Amino acid sequence: MNAVLILLPVAIMLGAIFAAMFVKATRDGQFDDLDDPPKRILKDD
Amino acid sequence: MEGEAEAFCCSGCAMAYDIIRGSGLSRYYVEREACPPRPEPASGSWDSIPLETAPDGSVATRLVIDNLRCASCVWVTEAVLQRTPGVLGATVSYATGRAALRWDPALTSLAALAGRIAALGYRPRPLGAAATPDRDLTVRLGVAAFAAMNIMLLAISVYAGWWDGMEPRWTAVFRWATLVLATPVALWCAQPFFAGAIAGLRQGRIHMDLPIALAVALLYGHGVLATLGGFDGFLDSLAMLVALLLAGRMLEGRGRRRAAEAALALASSLPATARRETADGLETVPAGDLRAGDRIDLGTGEEIPADGVVLEGFGQVRMALLTGESAPVAVGPSSPVVAGAVVEVGALTVAVEQAGDDTLLRRMARQLGVAADRGLLPTLADRIAPEFTLATLLAAAVTALVWWRVGGGSVALAHAVAVLVVACPCALALSQPLAAAAALGATARRGLMLRSVEPLLALGEIDIVALDKTGTVTGGTPTVISGADDAIRIAAGLERYSAHPIARALLAEAAARRIPLPAAHGVVEVPGHSISGIVDSRHWSVGAGESGEICLKDDRGGCSIIRLGDRIRDDAPRIVAALQSRGLRVALLTGDHAEVAGAVAVQCGITEVVARCGPEGKSEWVRARQAEGHRVLLAGDGINDGPALAMADVGIAMGSGAAATVLVADGVVAYPALGPVLAGFRASDAARRAIGRNQRRSIGYNVLAVLAAALGLVNPLVAAVLMPLSSGMVIWGASGVERTVRREEAL
Repeated sequence: MNAVLILLPVAIMLGAIFAAMFVKATRDGQFDDLDDPPKRILKDD
Repeated sequence: MEGEAEAFCCSGCAMAYDIIRGSGLSRYYVEREACPPRPEPASGSWDSIPLETAPDGSVATRLVIDNLRCASCVWVTEAVLQRTPGVLGATVSYATGRAALRWDPALTSLAALAGRIAALGYRPRPLGAAATPDRDLTVRLGVAAFAAMNIMLLAISVYAGWWDGMEPRWTAVFRWATLVLATPVALWCAQPFFAGAIAGLRQGRIHMDLPIALAVALLYGHGVLATLGGFDGFLDSLAMLVALLLAGRMLEGRGRRRAAEAALALASSLPATARRETADGLETVPAGDLRAGDRIDLGTGEEIPADGVVLEGFGQVRMALLTGESAPVAVGPSSPVVAGAVVEVGALTVAVEQAGDDTLLRRMARQLGVAADRGLLPTLADRIAPEFTLATLLAAAVTALVWWRVGGGSVALAHAVAVLVVACPCALALSQPLAAAAALGATARRGLMLRSVEPLLALGEIDIVALDKTGTVTGGTPTVISGADDAIRIAAGLERYSAHPIARALLAEAAARRIPLPAAHGVVEVPGHSISGIVDSRHWSVGAGESGEICLKDDRGGCSIIRLGDRIRDDAPRIVAALQSRGLRVALLTGDHAEVAGAVAVQCGITEVVARCGPEGKSEWVRARQAEGHRVLLAGDGINDGPALAMADVGIAMGSGAAATVLVADGVVAYPALGPVLAGFRASDAARRAIGRNQRRSIGYNVLAVLAAALGLVNPLVAAVLMPLSSGMVIWGASGVERTVRREEAL
């Protein structure tokens, strides 16, 4: 059970890293346009 | 185009074809759904546009591209740009008409890139100011959702401990971890609600943000105490609540931003500079510095930067942006001209009357901005917020008082907090925005772009549908109805270089009948009158006949007639019948003669016809019906319909119409069809039912849950289950809108 003391902070840290990546992606404009990219993959060039 | 003879209307088109084929993109011609309009001269100066320079020396900027008609247009524009040497990145958005460009300034320039876009037939222009989407809200939502999910995981462990037993020190670890995760949610993610509540209070108003902010503050305070004191808090409910509310708010904001972007695109469409006459010659000044009384010079291909009157010179001006009329208008001394119009041919000196923000174009763009803001009218949730807040606080106070008498301080606190938690109007606050967003999405997918929630809901009150004839019930462009092959061949051959709508009709007919165009020599066009030239070594002239027909005369005095007319839209009879079967009264309004209007009405099954009805006549008619207590929807396309569209309870512009009409309208039909209007009625009905159902359910939930909490039946686990359940109920109700519309369509 003592493993939880290490695993819990590690899990939260990992999650926080992903959250930080999400924040960066958003600020870089990744989610600005949700309408066009799905259409773009249909064009094969 | 594949395997067919290549015929071009002008050298510009031939150039566009060469660019496209040279880039290996011929597939565009197979895939395109709509043909681009003729290329227009690119206007304005490209040097004055602000550029962002990246550390690697590349520069970037954003442009608006007008006239993108279909996904293929986007594809070809992007592909051509990407294959231009020096371009590092080019993406074009179909939804907003924006292009984001990045290039190496040593290899190419913005002017060159704009030139390539223009050569394809699209119209690039500078973007006034960048409208950044609300990234802040997205980040807050992401963080809140992340925290909420992790907290749920921890909370489930703690709740499991109620039954299986858990050592107190492990419970404490989990509680502290929960507090760590919940802190950014309460203090940072929920900040928009605090800001909204405070802004409301400053204006002396209580709206839905206040009970939400109160609940968040209280839950977090209680959670901190609970963690310190070693008892269960409601931090899991808090995180879920904030995440759900932020999601609702983001959905709401997306629709509003679209309308605001349209306003911005229009406002930024004025040219950046102008040539002003001074005592010592001409100087180039920013268009914003123009003042009434200034004299400016304009040449062929330039866009007019301000409203004014022509002092000298003659020319042809195209006002498509304002009037939707693509044929150029002849102007001369004392003719008024408006900002945003393009000088097709000629050289003009114009006295400025209104410049910058006072121009007609900017005033209309501002109206649109205001209309976009109006989307914030209070919902039912906002209207009942004061009573709601008061009732909740009262219920909590009564609960605390009673339980204090019965069980003492800590029991009283726990139950009073439980009352405030379950009373949080999360589901109620989500009920309207979610259903409205679902309905706006459903109409948009079917081709009707509504400005905001109000017209959507107003559709439900409509009992008269008034349709303008030209451009709404009919296609709005002349098409050839009858004429001999020979006559079409010669007339089309003569007209092949003309931009006039009649010429386009003739060329389209010749192409449809697969008639090869003959060579024409010595063609002379007298604008607005006739066109003549030599075909097959004989001299011909094409001119307007008596009514809606053109006459092809040969040199021996013979004359053959080609009849032109305006065909009704294919789906018009079906849609009119469907509208009538919904119990709506359908009327046809037109400026045309009763005879023409009557024929169209009979074809579509409309019995009520108001003919010979000018712009004032139309708004007068709408006003008269409204005075009788009717609610009127008007669909129209011309600038003439503008006042009546603004007057109508719901005004819908056909997308092919004038920008000015689109601006005053509550909605725009994106396809050349009437079907989207019917889809609007269906979605409106579905949305109104869904909103009513959602509100009844969520108020019912709140009342029952508050009663249960007051009786001491709600512990943190029950709250954590109830809260998402009530919101889930509302989300399910909203998603029913699309299902209802589909069911009706299938009938």
